[in-house]
Amino acid sequence: MNIDLSEEALEFGRLAKRALEAAGGDELAQIAEREPDRRESLVGPVLAELGAWQLDPRDSADELEAAAALCRSAGYWAVSYPVAERLCRPSDLDADGLVVVADPAPAAAVGGLDRRWAAVTLDGRRSMATARPMAASPRRSAFVVELDLESVDDAGASDVPLGLVLPCWTLLGMLDRAVELARSYVREREQFGQPLATFQGVQFQLTEAEVERVGLEELAKYALWSIEAGRHEALDDALALRLAAVEAAERVLRVAHQLHGAIGFCDETVLSWVSRQSVPLRRLPLGLSGTRAELTRRLGRRGLTGIFG
Amino acid sequence: MATSDLEEFRAEARRWCQAHIPADWRQTQVGVSDEEDVSFQKAWFQELRKAGYAVPHWPREWGGGMSVAEQIVLYQELAAHDAPRLVLAFVSIHHAASTLLAAGTEEQRRRHLPAILDGEIWVQGFSEPEAGSDLASLRTTARREGDAFVVNGQKLWASGAAHADWCLLLARTDVTAPKRKGISYLLMDMRSPGVDVRPIRNASGEWHFCEIFLNDVVIPASQLVGPENEGWRVAQETLSAERGMTMLELSERLGNAGFRWLVEECSRARPDGLRLLDDALVQDGLAALETEIAGLRLLCRGLVERHEAGTAGPVEASVVKLFYSELLQRMMDFGTEVVGLAAQTSLHKPGSSGWESGAWALDFIGSWEWTIPGGASEIQRTIIAERGLGMPREPEVAR
Repeated sequence: MNIDLSEEALEFGRLAKRALEAAGGDELAQIAEREPDRRESLVGPVLAELGAWQLDPRDSADELEAAAALCRSAGYWAVSYPVAERLCRPSDLDADGLVVVADPAPAAAVGGLDRRWAAVTLDGRRSMATARPMAASPRRSAFVVELDLESVDDAGASDVPLGLVLPCWTLLGMLDRAVELARSYVREREQFGQPLATFQGVQFQLTEAEVERVGLEELAKYALWSIEAGRHEALDDALALRLAAVEAAERVLRVAHQLHGAIGFCDETVLSWVSRQSVPLRRLPLGLSGTRAELTRRLGRRGLTGIFG
Repeated sequence: MATSDLEEFRAEARRWCQAHIPADWRQTQVGVSDEEDVSFQKAWFQELRKAGYAVPHWPREWGGGMSVAEQIVLYQELAAHDAPRLVLAFVSIHHAASTLLAAGTEEQRRRHLPAILDGEIWVQGFSEPEAGSDLASLRTTARREGDAFVVNGQKLWASGAAHADWCLLLARTDVTAPKRKGISYLLMDMRSPGVDVRPIRNASGEWHFCEIFLNDVVIPASQLVGPENEGWRVAQETLSAERGMTMLELSERLGNAGFRWLVEECSRARPDGLRLLDDALVQDGLAALETEIAGLRLLCRGLVERHEAGTAGPVEASVVKLFYSELLQRMMDFGTEVVGLAAQTSLHKPGSSGWESGAWALDFIGSWEWTIPGGASEIQRTIIAERGLGMPREPEVAR
């Protein structure tokens, strides 16, 4: 069993990271918030040129891994575009993307995009989803809108693990960035005549964030492999990943904010943008306790199978 | 005060709240302009003042005079009746007043305490770009020229500076002295020539943080608080205790407003007919929060009582700040979690509301800043370790 992404997938991720940087990098999220109408045109064409929308993560392991690497790069720049959700589009429905939703108030960060969406619930009920108009400015809503669903069928069970796992890769990319930003900030910022990084109390906080991030990376690779391998526990693994991702995001971003101090809440810092863009990913379709409850309900007293079977 | 008197006072405060708190303020204060917000805050302050509720913690001769027990009862009733908070006057009635009372001259007190009651607004001008946690390294200078100081520099994170009339200013008056020895504490009129205020937008889209640029601002020497070059000591003495005192109201609000709403939220029947309150995990979470809130309220009460008796220790205020800020974060986290998706789409926080406004997602984001200002959690922990537990100072730290 090899859970590492292929070299081709990693290379595709690096290419995507550079292409998004050339297209605006950190400014992509800022422009999208300021000019919500450009949300599609800022990112869509760049990814189309890379061949992102030709990827079919359901088709082969290579394409699935490339999709994961792409999501991670999109997360790194905190692009406010539903990359993972678009990559998950079902092949048999007339839709540009797929979102996993939870009852009773389905919602997703797809506001302001002229796209057709499919939705799937955790128990595999599929619908076509119509996004309602944005009720609040993107500054506050991060493009989250409520969805009106029109039922299609019950054939979405295999969509759910994919629909949960790829957005976790986006979140992982955001945590990569948050740790990187916090690390460089504490090395530069001086107080008491020395860089903050020289204080062990600061180092320990950062190392705890890094441990969280690395652990999440391993789980993300494992859950992706579980889908590739067609294991019937793929949904359990996806939910376990989601739980870990939400917990890790909370811890990593708290540390990153705490170490940045007040400036971390201001538009001048990239961290402020990254952490705000992360909120929908952490709350939808289920937050911490909702994810935990669903995982517990599915596992009962059985426990996860894990890599050692 | 005897228990029966206290109960009588509670009944009186309750009647007042029922008669005076505008029933619709939450609706009317959503999305208001800055000017409307300021005028609502000022009007509400005057309502409280007429009742004797605006500055209950001040000495009687200046318009306060309530016992700690009465203050707690008042804060409980205001929170339970969901009164608007005094956001705008916060620094004026707490930090400015306590500084003037502890270290100001009689003339300064007469000039400003009645004015604060009339609506004079204050801002704290302490932090600078290079002086956050390491406040004593501040670089703003105040050069003595005859009967005045001429001030140059930049202040940062001055909450509410855009509406302030006066500023509590720390500036360096002796650039050659060790960094804590050359600082003076000044009262600065924000309308002085050379004062330039620029708001900074924060993560939730609000503009209450400000930068203050100071270019050759002239401050009369009569506006010095305490001796020249001893501003650091004045600030430490007056503000560390005050930092804890302000928590009395916040802790009662956390218990009597924020937590109560959380329980109400969990008690509501959901579309699937179930109540969150029936879930053992939710019960467990609520019980843990209530226990911690009870602890916080006792800590605050103890701190205020010992402060009044002059027996407060060097770390109690730090303990309270640290505990409140982290508890607020845990509670807002839990609130956002239990409200679920609705928290994502309820994004309107009324002006004049507290740190717990009921817009859980925004409150959640707002709570994150609490472990940073007024001495970051790292600084509070250092104070507790060094001054409370007698741990040695961190090596190689230039102070």
